[in-house]
Amino acid sequence: MKNSIKVERAKKNLTQAGLAKSVQVSRQTINAIESGKYNLSTILALKIASVFNVSIDDIFELEEYDWEKN
Amino acid sequence: MKLNFLFSNKYKTPGWFILFIGLILFCLTFFIGEEPSFFDVKVFTMSANGFGDTDRYFEFISNNVYNEITAIFIIVGGLLTTFSKEKNEDEYIAKIRLSSLSWAVLVNYIVLLFAIIFIYDFSFFTIMILNMFTTIIFFIIRFNIQLYKLNKMDSDEK
Repeated sequence: MKNSIKVERAKKNLTQAGLAKSVQVSRQTINAIESGKYNLSTILALKIASVFNVSIDDIFELEEYDWEKN
Repeated sequence: MKLNFLFSNKYKTPGWFILFIGLILFCLTFFIGEEPSFFDVKVFTMSANGFGDTDRYFEFISNNVYNEITAIFIIVGGLLTTFSKEKNEDEYIAKIRLSSLSWAVLVNYIVLLFAIIFIYDFSFFTIMILNMFTTIIFFIIRFNIQLYKLNKMDSDEK
């Protein structure tokens, strides 16, 4: 899953720590999501979208890989 | 939706402390040889048999409780350490916790399988005793290494 959290953060001039605080997770979690190491929950995705005032699919995008069976 | 079986973070430090005492008591058994008679007490048993004496059920017997205290300290301390929330507990930590737990169970049983095949007699009895604690110990080691890596992870701020 691709995401544009970093871009959205830059637009809003928000640090990882700042975003983490507003969605009640640790900064490391935001870092792991941005770098694609962690697939976040739907609730957290909705919270992040809400902070940026956009819809979820403006930030997150499926990749071919996501359709492959694990 | 909040659904987990974790204790509050304030139990973490006492958990470490109790576990540490338990592990020290455990290590001491290898040096002291005989259990101190100070720990000889009467205890209630539901079942105590198998060592030649008459079988005893639901009665008071005399027993040295050094082993029991050691095991209880390790298990209670281990459980508190394992199942207390981190200070910054969130869904990513929960994921690390879960994956560390399945890793620990898997490794524990692989080690046990190895022991079943290659270790016999009294040595195997020792392995079985150790095996009572190894799942928790393996978990604690794995989970904390993962947390350490997470905290060390380079931040690419901005």
